[in-house]
Amino acid sequence: MRALVDLQGSFAHAMTSGDGAALGGHLRGGRDPGRRLAIHLRHYATSLAAALCDKFPASTWLIGDAAMREAAGAYTRFHPPRQPCIAEYGRDFPEFLARHPRAARLPYVRSFAELEWAVAQASIAVDAPPLSWTELTTCGAECLVESRLALQPGVHYVRAGWRVDELMQNYLSGVSPERFVLVNAATRIEVRGARGEFRLVRLDAATFAFRTTLAAGRTVGAAADAALGLDQRFDAGAALRALVDAELATASATGAQEPVR
Amino acid sequence: MSREDAVNALPTGVGLRLPHLAEVAAGTSGAAWLEAHPENFLANPHARELLLRARHDHPIALHTVGVSVGTATGLDRSHLARLRALVDELDPFLVSGHLAWSTHNGIYLNDLLPIPYDDDALRVVAANVHEVQEVLRRCYVVENPASYVAFSTSTRAETDFLAELASRTGCKLLCDVSNAYLSAANLGYDAYEYINGLPADAVAELHLGGFTRETDDAGAPVLIDTHAAAIDEPVWKLYAHAMRRFGPQPTLIEWDSALPAFAQLLSEAERADFVTHATFEGGAHARAG
Repeated sequence: MRALVDLQGSFAHAMTSGDGAALGGHLRGGRDPGRRLAIHLRHYATSLAAALCDKFPASTWLIGDAAMREAAGAYTRFHPPRQPCIAEYGRDFPEFLARHPRAARLPYVRSFAELEWAVAQASIAVDAPPLSWTELTTCGAECLVESRLALQPGVHYVRAGWRVDELMQNYLSGVSPERFVLVNAATRIEVRGARGEFRLVRLDAATFAFRTTLAAGRTVGAAADAALGLDQRFDAGAALRALVDAELATASATGAQEPVR
Repeated sequence: MSREDAVNALPTGVGLRLPHLAEVAAGTSGAAWLEAHPENFLANPHARELLLRARHDHPIALHTVGVSVGTATGLDRSHLARLRALVDELDPFLVSGHLAWSTHNGIYLNDLLPIPYDDDALRVVAANVHEVQEVLRRCYVVENPASYVAFSTSTRAETDFLAELASRTGCKLLCDVSNAYLSAANLGYDAYEYINGLPADAVAELHLGGFTRETDDAGAPVLIDTHAAAIDEPVWKLYAHAMRRFGPQPTLIEWDSALPAFAQLLSEAERADFVTHATFEGGAHARAG
């Protein structure tokens, strides 16, 4: 048993590092078994890098194929998958990409890749039945302040220092304008999608704080406080109504209960 | 096995990949049955919804690629729990996976890696298969791997290892005929003897898939299990032999990359059905003669 654990440990190291020297003596097959091992080592690196490139086509468009392949290859060495579903692999790739020498010259690359990840996640979601205003308010005003809401699974929030939503629209349009200026400005984006479709909505700072506080599982009261801290004119009642009218809320709960319908 | 039994057997199915999902879920695919990789659906709710829709019109089998029964560091129980939920939802007629490992201490290596065929590994794999069967509450079907290298420390033949695994756990076997052909070519043994060495009563499914001829880093020819091409002619002959040995079993056409139109997969499935019928018609004539 110990021998098998050690053998698989050496194999796993070979896969992630690309160095299979320690395994050569254990193998047979072909003229040189050590070189046959390269089939597995190559598959690890190329299949995962290809999966990342497939998952980030807009970021690939932004930084170029060669740079993306190089960054993706480096990511597979330093961040091997921790889950069997490769669809879940790459959540922290945008942060890695921003530090990679081939992309670091673009200060907005992390936000753009994070937006792309959010778009991909939103697109594969399935909407849950929305909560109605009557259902939400039936418990009364005091209870409502202490309520926590579940939002649609296809809703994601991205905060960026650049207008990366415009850059994304540019990529999605498939048309390269003669001149495009990416504005360096605080940008708060709500990504909402389901069943292969999505849309991007830019939010003001207070509404973004309100919705992201709710999305983080905190109460309606805490969300209102977060928004009012940024804008004293913020109307929490209207913001809550707008959230419900947009069918973004799916369940509510108070206390230790989870907001699950 | 009579010709009538062969004709009445489940026609050949095809592997369901995401690019074909919408077409298949629309109910117009023409496939006799489908095999899906659960790992493509567990983290994709929209795809899962479409798979459930496809289930209305097609029998479904699940073929796991992330269960890793060969791992010595323990199964991923949270993955097994998610798999169990999908199995409960779909009620597949068969759930299979590979005689391989792909995870070590929580790291997934995105490949089906070889294990040494010795008593220690057999104990580990048998314990893992037992656990999978307990969690899924059904018989697991274990597939022979596609091999490029083997371990010099192996003390058993792969067929003996699989037979003993089936005997200890009650699991069934999936004979991937293409893997048998490819591994035999890569490691230098006889594919027909390999088929003959598998316990016929344990075999519950057959796979057929395309491979790619390449040259390894030492300049030696090697067959790679790419599932990116039509099934090779020698594999069809080996398939006929496997059918004679195991009787008609649910057979699946696998095609994963360089994916053609769904119609081409159906065409490969039709050919498999033709081979099945021709095999048993020929056998009946021989017996009659």
